[in-house]
Amino acid sequence: MTKPAKTHKIKMMEEQLTKKLNRQVVGSLVGCVHCGMCNDCCHYVLSHPDDPKMTPSYKADQLRKLFKANHDWTGSVFPWWVGADKVPLTDEDLDKLKDIAFGTCTNCRRCTINCPMGVDTATLNRIMRGLLTNVGVMPEGVRVVSKDQWELGNQMGVLKEDYLDTIEWMSEELEEDLGHGEAEIPIDKSGAKIMYAINPREVKYDPRTIKEAALIFWAAGEDWTMPSEGWDNTNFGLFSGDDGLGGASAKREYDKARELGVEKIVISECGHGYRSTRCEGVNWSGDAEAFPMESSVMTMIEYIKQGKIVVDPTKNSQRMTFHDSCNNARSCGFFEEPRELLRMVTTDFQEMYPNRAENFCCTGGGGAMSMSEYTPRRLKSAEVKANQIRETGATVVVTSCHNCVDGLSDLIKHYELGCEVKQLVDLVADALVLEECAVMKNRPAGAPMPEPPVIGEPVDEKAAAPAVAAEAPLAGRKILVVDDEEDIRTFLVTVFEDAGAEVAEAADGDECIEKAKTFKPDLISLDLSMPGKSGVDAFVELRKTPEIQEIPVCVVTGHPEFRQVIYDRPVPPPEGYLNKPVDEEKLISYVAHIIEKVDEKAN
Amino acid sequence: MHESSSLLHTAEIVHWAALIIMAVVYSLRLKWLFSFKPGVDKSAPGAPDRTDKKKGAFYSVFNVAMPWSMESTRKGFAFYLTFVIFHLGVVAGITLAFLSSITPNLVASPAFAWICGSTLFLAFLVAIYRVFRRLFTPVMKLISTPDDYFSLLMLTAWFGLGTVTQAHLAGVQGFESVNILVAYLFLTSFFLIYVPFSKISHYLYYPFTRIWIGRTLGHRGSYPIARG
Repeated sequence: MTKPAKTHKIKMMEEQLTKKLNRQVVGSLVGCVHCGMCNDCCHYVLSHPDDPKMTPSYKADQLRKLFKANHDWTGSVFPWWVGADKVPLTDEDLDKLKDIAFGTCTNCRRCTINCPMGVDTATLNRIMRGLLTNVGVMPEGVRVVSKDQWELGNQMGVLKEDYLDTIEWMSEELEEDLGHGEAEIPIDKSGAKIMYAINPREVKYDPRTIKEAALIFWAAGEDWTMPSEGWDNTNFGLFSGDDGLGGASAKREYDKARELGVEKIVISECGHGYRSTRCEGVNWSGDAEAFPMESSVMTMIEYIKQGKIVVDPTKNSQRMTFHDSCNNARSCGFFEEPRELLRMVTTDFQEMYPNRAENFCCTGGGGAMSMSEYTPRRLKSAEVKANQIRETGATVVVTSCHNCVDGLSDLIKHYELGCEVKQLVDLVADALVLEECAVMKNRPAGAPMPEPPVIGEPVDEKAAAPAVAAEAPLAGRKILVVDDEEDIRTFLVTVFEDAGAEVAEAADGDECIEKAKTFKPDLISLDLSMPGKSGVDAFVELRKTPEIQEIPVCVVTGHPEFRQVIYDRPVPPPEGYLNKPVDEEKLISYVAHIIEKVDEKAN
Repeated sequence: MHESSSLLHTAEIVHWAALIIMAVVYSLRLKWLFSFKPGVDKSAPGAPDRTDKKKGAFYSVFNVAMPWSMESTRKGFAFYLTFVIFHLGVVAGITLAFLSSITPNLVASPAFAWICGSTLFLAFLVAIYRVFRRLFTPVMKLISTPDDYFSLLMLTAWFGLGTVTQAHLAGVQGFESVNILVAYLFLTSFFLIYVPFSKISHYLYYPFTRIWIGRTLGHRGSYPIARG
């Protein structure tokens, strides 16, 4: 049978591969002896023992074949002898390669550190991803996110006005918590010492971490700023293998920092953000040398060591364990500092095994959270991590990475571990003893002392509930709660009613549409996974029905993997998105903010 | 004993010629490897208080002798032992081939014969295990190429023949035929010529790949591996 001719895409991939080769990469391509020792180090292998295609060397061989067929002596003359005859030829072959490179590897680099030959398999897989991305073959989620990062400068498609609005919102929240406006978050402050770059997830799904960081900076008396542009420390170029995107994204941050004249960039807790901004960005961007940068973890440690902030570890007394982000630990050697900080702000730390550079991936790395088509496989591969966490007996898993927060939350729910996930910034903010921090001690004589803060104080849930009701932030608002699970619906209805809202409920998509038309709510809280008409279908219908299409929607779901599905629909995206289990306070403040924002736009 | 054989003389010449060919091809291989641009990491050192490029490279190169350094060798210690025996067998086999023509008296000495012969025999057993492992383990079957099979089978035969050759050189009864040594030298010659074109040439790349990954991860701060 004659072989099909190479497609244009394959030829382009071969050309690109030539450009990506350097000594280290070639060493990894020629060094593998197929000994199989990488096999048991991979979380995909360990949870798919009957599928040999999960082995790292098989994944790397996909690139190796392409290399051998085009660059290696034996492979060029006798391709069948070294497996170089099985190179991809058709677009269908490329689809299979896509599934291997994106769907069976998180580029966690655990196989790399376990290879006796020093073969960097994760780097080879990233190169394969880059070759595929370059010819437009990639999972839909990767395409959407990459496009957003190219066009809008951040990977979650956050508009500048929404970003600035969120910062303002957090400033207001902080003002409310502190009882004064001294901790306002500065934007584009020229000559500040620190530029704080964050993960867009913080803007879109968890703005509380911005508030917490702002509180810590303020408490330490820091001269800091957030930039209006170049604020995204994450970089999908790392995941897609697109060095061009990697360089462009990193350069936005570096250029903004130079423009503002800051001394250093402080990177909020994000594993791949830290790696791409601090370590890889300078190599991709073409900058002559690295701009001074550090993780916010190091900044917080310094504040504590220098006495700029004072913390009380007894405020974090639950049993905690620490999950190392692969990008932090294996690729950046950043594993002792988070532990040092964790010990400063908690009382019961239990190490998980293996740990540090040998820790297992959260299984949401390498962009896996954006590829919903691989979710079942990802969750199966998470069994290893779930067992690691279970054995610690911890009720809180601490990590220093936003991506890991999502990956871990997902697996904790899937394997019913009953833990919550926190970041160090949460713990430091909770442990602050504000009256002893620099900002209080260094006040000029005679300056009025601000009111003691409420953040970090242990909250009695029973006592807190009436407080929310008393504030009634949703008074006069109408909320439609859509969820098929009665207990969740009851919970949401109670929370919204306690906040002063008039609430209606619906148990499926059809009822949602019907109630939306008759009840005319100010906001719909929408579950996605429901029998009958799903939340996704109901959402699309809502958006396409003229009389109800303007009603803001806040998705509240236990399936984070559906996030991409709903954002991929050809209709405007939902105004908000929250993962279950949802925190009452966060829900109310988020929903109130969405309604307020919609009102502002309408006026 | 073997001076009388013209075939043996030819085998010895071919054997040395093969060594020269291998050296030339290896030189070209290295020239080719170094024709690629070096990767440059401009990032600031990851953990300068703990480690650096040098420490990382040193640790990485010598991790072959530190089975505790990698989870794969720590947990698979039995496999690590087979790896050690297999590679000691290669050293013994090469040593035997060259010393047989340089110092035949030494290779015939009982001490040398015991050490070299038993190493080769153990390596032969390991090689047989590896053949079965490659043939019958689904993962190994999937990733194996004809070169992988051929290289392993050739080495298995070479270890086996090496064991017999050592017995011949030590004067063990039943292994008197000089043709054993002739066959061994010819097989070694083929081995030497084939190696640079096959996966067996990995040992040429080994120091480079290990130093490079060690420098990379040492600079970043993750090598040497820390555990707690």
